[in-house]
Amino acid sequence: MSRDTLEKVLYDLSASGANKKAFAAEPDKFLGRYQLDADERALVLAYDVRALADRGVNTMLTWGFWLQAGRAHGDYLKAMRRQTVA
Amino acid sequence: MAKIVGGFVVPHNPVMYFNPNGPRPEVAKVIHDAYAETARRIAELGATTAIIIGCDHYILYGTQCLPRYVISTGEIDGPVDQLPGLKRAPILSNIDLGRHIAEEGCRAGFDWAVGRAMAVDHSIAVPHHLMLQPNPGIKTVAVMLACGVDPFLPMARARALGEHIAAAVASFPGDERVVVIGSGGISHWVGDENMGKVNPDFDRLVLDAVTTGDIDRLTGLSDAYILEHGGNGAMEIRTYVCAMAATGAAGGHVVAYEPIREWVTGMGLAELKAA
Repeated sequence: MSRDTLEKVLYDLSASGANKKAFAAEPDKFLGRYQLDADERALVLAYDVRALADRGVNTMLTWGFWLQAGRAHGDYLKAMRRQTVA
Repeated sequence: MAKIVGGFVVPHNPVMYFNPNGPRPEVAKVIHDAYAETARRIAELGATTAIIIGCDHYILYGTQCLPRYVISTGEIDGPVDQLPGLKRAPILSNIDLGRHIAEEGCRAGFDWAVGRAMAVDHSIAVPHHLMLQPNPGIKTVAVMLACGVDPFLPMARARALGEHIAAAVASFPGDERVVVIGSGGISHWVGDENMGKVNPDFDRLVLDAVTTGDIDRLTGLSDAYILEHGGNGAMEIRTYVCAMAATGAAGGHVVAYEPIREWVTGMGLAELKAA
């Protein structure tokens, strides 16, 4: 639908521990709160930060989104540089 | 009447806290010594209040409401985004001065969003920690500009806002001695593929403009130029423009500068003369 709603999803995940838990437990149910189309839902579920950034999502949010899941900073940079993440 | 007695532009880099041993010790010491020097100068200037001009990082304000500029008119606490060695705590607020600036702004055409019990992020809390806490009793007025999330505050508005702050301070019926701190990084790329890159040429351009009082040079930089040469983080130089305008763009001097890739930022600190 828009990069604005994608940013809303990522902001909500960064701002609330309860949201993080809800997303980790039932990601599809959590994303059901938001007006996302199928492609956008897939990008979030796949942690495709590069594609999210390419759609205009603020990279402070994509970085925080990656780290809140306990993923490594080095892997984030690889993803953003279109390199293979192990 | 209250008086602006000086100013500073400084980084508010959280990576200093997360990765204190990243740079060589002698390089880190240059920066820590520089912050200590600004604290010493604040004491020497006899400051009683600091107006800290920071910027949100998509931490305080979300997509539901993105204010262009905000001022504290009540209690302050932070940082919301706690750091190792810098935990969320009350920050002594100059409530009367914040309210006065907001009210004067309303009369002058600056409709401030106000924080009546304002939480701040590291852009206020880091300079408060390193520059004000060594000087107990100095109060804070927190100002947040839209530098990290679009729609960004136009450079020209940052300048006008600084001029308005100066006029409002001058009309404040008290004997406050005020320093203005522009809190932001120079070149740094946050969260994108260039994160870790530093551009000393861009940093020198900015610091030269700051120390010669060439505010036109900074306001003449387009957002596209800043993003290309300084990164998305360098949009924070709006805080420098605001601080320069508030102090009368009278020039100043660099306290320290180090391009520190380990801290992902060109770390520059400068003192501003008050006109």
